[in-house]
Amino acid sequence: MNSIPAPTIEYGTLAPLLVVFGAAIIGVLVEAFAPRYLRKAIHVPLTLLSLAGAFALVLVQVLRGQVSTTASAVGALAVDGPSLFIWGVILVLSFVCVLLINDEGHFVASAAAVPGSADEEEAESAGGGHTEVYPLVLFAVGGMLLFPASHDLLMMFVALEVMSLPLYLLCGLARRRRLLSQEASMKYFLLGAFSSAFFLYGTAMIYGYAGTVSLPGINQALARGAALDPLLMIGLAMLGVGLMFKIGAAPFQAWKPDVYQGAPTPITALMASGTLVAAVGAVLRVFWVGLGNLDWNWRPVIWGVAALTMIVGSILAITQTDIKRMLAYSSIAHAGFLLVGVMATFGTAEQNASSLKAILFYLAVYGITTVGAFAVVTLVRDPGGEAGHLSRWAGLGKRAPMLAGVFAFFLLAFAGIPLTSGFFGKYAVFAAALDSGTQPGDSMGGWMAALVVVGVVASAIAAFFYVRVIVLMFFSEPSADGPAIAVPSMGTVTVIAVSLLVTVGVGLYPESVLGVADDAARSLFIR
Amino acid sequence: MDLYVPILVLAVLAGGFAIFSVAIAPFTGPKRWNRAKLDAYECGIEPTPQPVGGGRFPLKYMVTAMLFIVFDIEIIFLYPWAVSFAPELNDAGQAIAPGLGLFALVEMLLFIVTVLAAYAYVWRRKGLDWD
Amino acid sequence: MTTHYLILSGLLFAIGAMGVLIRRNAIVVFMCVELMLNACNLAFVTFSRQVGNLEGQIIAFFVMVVAAAEVVVGLAIIVTIFRTRRSASVDDANLLKY
Repeated sequence: MNSIPAPTIEYGTLAPLLVVFGAAIIGVLVEAFAPRYLRKAIHVPLTLLSLAGAFALVLVQVLRGQVSTTASAVGALAVDGPSLFIWGVILVLSFVCVLLINDEGHFVASAAAVPGSADEEEAESAGGGHTEVYPLVLFAVGGMLLFPASHDLLMMFVALEVMSLPLYLLCGLARRRRLLSQEASMKYFLLGAFSSAFFLYGTAMIYGYAGTVSLPGINQALARGAALDPLLMIGLAMLGVGLMFKIGAAPFQAWKPDVYQGAPTPITALMASGTLVAAVGAVLRVFWVGLGNLDWNWRPVIWGVAALTMIVGSILAITQTDIKRMLAYSSIAHAGFLLVGVMATFGTAEQNASSLKAILFYLAVYGITTVGAFAVVTLVRDPGGEAGHLSRWAGLGKRAPMLAGVFAFFLLAFAGIPLTSGFFGKYAVFAAALDSGTQPGDSMGGWMAALVVVGVVASAIAAFFYVRVIVLMFFSEPSADGPAIAVPSMGTVTVIAVSLLVTVGVGLYPESVLGVADDAARSLFIR
Repeated sequence: MDLYVPILVLAVLAGGFAIFSVAIAPFTGPKRWNRAKLDAYECGIEPTPQPVGGGRFPLKYMVTAMLFIVFDIEIIFLYPWAVSFAPELNDAGQAIAPGLGLFALVEMLLFIVTVLAAYAYVWRRKGLDWD
Repeated sequence: MTTHYLILSGLLFAIGAMGVLIRRNAIVVFMCVELMLNACNLAFVTFSRQVGNLEGQIIAFFVMVVAAAEVVVGLAIIVTIFRTRRSASVDDANLLKY
């Protein structure tokens, strides 16, 4: 019988993860034992402190130069430079999202009460929302941290589920328009479970091919084995389906608009920022660390997916009449731009580092702008909840010039207008893609330039619908019964202010974030 | 024969526990006789007449089943842990492979505490009450 | 001799995937997803035998636990939506579109 040696676990390196998960478990105990009126008062500081503490622990590792160069926890996790950068970004984004979640009135008082029933009225009058939201968010954030740092496919599958399961539930907890919210939750769950089954079967096939699920192990097996094994091809395709679903790339984007529209807006903000960052990190790691020796095989496929995603996202966004659906399609288009960056991780170490830097930078600035945009959406309200329909936003610029101005600025950043952070994000990714095409031996060659052209065209189409919203807000007359602008709480003000500052600041001085991203990318993923 | 002593001890302990439980119950348990108790066993409740073609189960069964599944399946991790916990011995009683030792004990305790946290939540929120 | 098991696993996965695509009851759709996960388990255990290490069997354990957690979350969501609409048909969930 094989004996199993006791594993070594690098607690120092994994401390940020442990803090987040530990706080989540304490949150469950708070739910169990604290009286109802105290729960929120305990949860909010606990959640915020744990996220801030985890961020501090990430910073400590970076500042003391202790970024590990080997995999941790017996090869299950890789806490390398890019991982730490992604962790930092996710922790900042989730901290900001928790400020937004903290606002009154986003979450249902009793999810078990049937909408419109006496039970619901009773729960409503008792006040408050589900405080289980906080531990659930912490579990989801923990999963997001695990996902891009997973060094083997089993860890990645577990992380995927730890991230997704709380989100499925959180989607169904909106206080207003509960039918939409529950429907979003069910659609997200059924499609998410379907796609994770594909991910798992892909993992099984690759295990059958390589005899291991560790990413570097797979890469070594690719280097020595037959590259056209059907097991490998099936596995690769199914793994790709699972991952592309999570980042919402076409043709697996169908869930995104429905879920983003139905979910409570702070949760949408968390999904649109944190989940996307985590999922892109995981995609990078799988394709670069695990399938690096097979790049002539997957890059043409990703080429098609990236092009399709950018075009589908941009074109379908034009036809949208709901603000959250429009932002969802915009998120799909951005996933396409990010995939252009994934394509560019090819060739020499410098080329890899520079495209990795571009993607990390893009993730950071796009994430924070997204949270800001959704924070604005929470403030424009109708009697029955948020004013989702675009026609309700007409003339907002005359009624609330500040708010409309901030939103317009976020939209311009999405469009990638110069002097916003979005411009440098897109520029960096496209430049990296062009560079990669000129590398000697790149099988894609001129196709990379073609992809960038598709990207630029998609950006132009996207800019059209962003500008259309701005025109609607500023150059049309407000209707008499227009939506009310809620008085923002301190938390929401902080969220919008931070997002605005980062979007403007990075737009003017991109070197600040680019420098950090460069340091993180320089060390590359542990291979 | 020595090899079988632990099994014998375990059998005695298990049998003793069973006899003890049955013997002590009449003295310590509450005695509330009703029709349901004397009827055919169906989870301790009165059998309800089912409509033709099945009909629906009350949701409470679903909740109980869900809780059972999620706590039951956690045991799965105890099996490999238990198998590789102790040092592996050869026939002469010498250790040929070290066990997992204190480290694994602490890790497993942490795991169980984590599961118990969820259990505490269910218990305090009356997930275990039938009515 | 492991080929037969792999074929069986592939068939189970295909049946599950087809079920997800064509069945209308959310509970049945969900059971089909579970069937797909179990097909994965069979594949893992078979490959574990074939490549001669225990990794695949360990993975099967993790998959079972994750599947159980998924069952609980999924049933909770489906039950909630059923209580609201008195229907668990995925065709009736049509408020979010375009």
